[in-house]
Amino acid sequence: MNAIDVSIAIGELRLANPIMVASGTFGYGDEYAHVVDPRTLGAVVTKTVTLKPRAGNPPTRIAETAAGMLNSIGLENVGLQKFRAEKVPKLAGLGATIIASIGGDTASHLERLLSALADESAIAGFEVNFSCPNVAKGGARYWTVPRRLTTTMRRLRAITNKPLIAKLSPDVTAISELARACEAGGADALTATNTFVGMAVDLSTGRSKLNRATGGLSGPAVKPLALARCYECVQAVRIPVIGSGGIVTGRDVLEFLAVGAAAVQVGTASFLRPRASVDILAEMRSILAAAGAESIEAWREQLIARGAGLAHGLGPSLVQRAGTAVRSESRADSSNGAHATSGGEPREIATSGAKAGESERG
Amino acid sequence: MATAALATSWRQATASVAGQVEYGDGHWWLDLDVPAPFEQPVPGQFVQLLLDGTETGSLLPRPMSVAGAAPIDDGWRVSFLYAPVGQGTRSLARLRAGDRVEALGPLGHGFPLEAPGTPVLIAGGRGVAPMLFAADVLARQSAAGPHPRRSQFVFGARSAQQLVGLDDARERLQRAGGALYTCTDDGSHGMHGNVLQLLAREVAGFASPVVIHACGPHGMLRAIAEWAIAHDVRAHLAMESVMACGTGVCRGCPLPRSASGRKAWTSAMPSLFGNAEHAMCCTEGPVFEARELDWEHVV
Repeated sequence: MNAIDVSIAIGELRLANPIMVASGTFGYGDEYAHVVDPRTLGAVVTKTVTLKPRAGNPPTRIAETAAGMLNSIGLENVGLQKFRAEKVPKLAGLGATIIASIGGDTASHLERLLSALADESAIAGFEVNFSCPNVAKGGARYWTVPRRLTTTMRRLRAITNKPLIAKLSPDVTAISELARACEAGGADALTATNTFVGMAVDLSTGRSKLNRATGGLSGPAVKPLALARCYECVQAVRIPVIGSGGIVTGRDVLEFLAVGAAAVQVGTASFLRPRASVDILAEMRSILAAAGAESIEAWREQLIARGAGLAHGLGPSLVQRAGTAVRSESRADSSNGAHATSGGEPREIATSGAKAGESERG
Repeated sequence: MATAALATSWRQATASVAGQVEYGDGHWWLDLDVPAPFEQPVPGQFVQLLLDGTETGSLLPRPMSVAGAAPIDDGWRVSFLYAPVGQGTRSLARLRAGDRVEALGPLGHGFPLEAPGTPVLIAGGRGVAPMLFAADVLARQSAAGPHPRRSQFVFGARSAQQLVGLDDARERLQRAGGALYTCTDDGSHGMHGNVLQLLAREVAGFASPVVIHACGPHGMLRAIAEWAIAHDVRAHLAMESVMACGTGVCRGCPLPRSASGRKAWTSAMPSLFGNAEHAMCCTEGPVFEARELDWEHVV
């Protein structure tokens, strides 16, 4: 089973497998080492680090919802200084691929964070958190302006050649526009997506169940939503897209890979079972093995060869990611798309979507 | 917090239900067999119980205070006492012998029962669960040790019917060589009044110094904390919070620190603890000494 090649590339970085653990769900990478060997994961994304320590929001920070949970943590973290002095040396000893998540109120904050951490050999790459829904400043809303994303990514790109991953908010009309904006600014990959803004009301008080009116929804409840956002990003850009949202099984992973995600992040599942990520990886491997696929690429080609998905709009994203001759056509299309400021949806989707509709009616 | 060290001995295990029985006033007593390397829980610690969410409709595990633990061949028989009040606990109540449940634990820090002095256990309502366990541990220590300490147990509820586990409490106190004092809000059993009034009435008869260990509603714990601070008594209080992971990574269960709690916090503490402003209920607690928390702002 281990003979299956499940490695993937994010920029210059090669990950042993496509299973990453999402920021904010696995500490700084060292805390779960007694239950999960982080070397077995594709990568560990750390808790978001900000310039100054943040105490986070007051209670109540968590509310359970149907097949999901709302959180309003508020980017609680130890701050750059402690992260650098105490966490980075520990991460170096783990032998795992560490992606540091950085968050800031402004582009300058992000620049300072990245400059301070870029040369740390323990850190293989960076995820820029453009999408925290639970902070008053520098949160998801601030970072949903495409021009701001492009200029910020350019400034960050100038600092390091290490992979830069932009983590996007799903709470926009067209995530494809944010995706293209980050790609244009030099991002190596995208994470689609962070939590969805949600609410829950305590009827005994008439107030929000959380410390703020709204929080971020995660868990299986958001998987179909996240999958659609991921798919939209895959259609819009050439860079790898990392799917995230509600993944709790190996089958969930394959759904994201089927729509063209290069990798995935496991988040809330780790709250239910700390070993969820490694169990999900094992399950994904056994599904690939059962299909007789020797790599993720080969499995995708099986899907394409079967024609599966083509009638339902999956075709373009699969083909785009399949590394075949068709890919260059698709690249040309999506780079056209990158310059289009309106529309959002690439032409291919509309076409195949219409075909699907027709064939169903027919 | 009982100690400034982060507990990392917890494990994720699949447990099997040894049995579940009704325990009075709508409560259930659940026995789970949890295989090694799951370690021995201590009173005040909790275990996250996770059922298959596709069947129960609830996503998150339930943080459950441990009501008892006994060694079995390959691990521990861990007991829980609870009332099915929500979706998750109603699902737990449907478990029968042989069913499987995911157990994560033991989590957090328990009561420092070894602290020198007279252990005074105080339970309010269904907060009795960890106090039964504490009484059992004290009874075993009393049987084994050369200098048995006399333990005291103060147990209160709204009415006689809600003194759930009274017989078990009495049995453990007999073994511990201690005394049981009861009270009810409606006067239907024991003293007519609350646990703090009962404590204030009886405490002069307890060998000094006394060390309080308590579990119950936060209002009760706050009253005990304020009394303990005013009377220069140590009080260790088992807190509750909404939780997601139970291990510190989700940052979901902050409790407000007191001024002295803020002073005692240092940035050298484990990153899965809280910060200067908030303590993390799961990793630093759930048992806190009265002086560590800002009781005015405890929810």
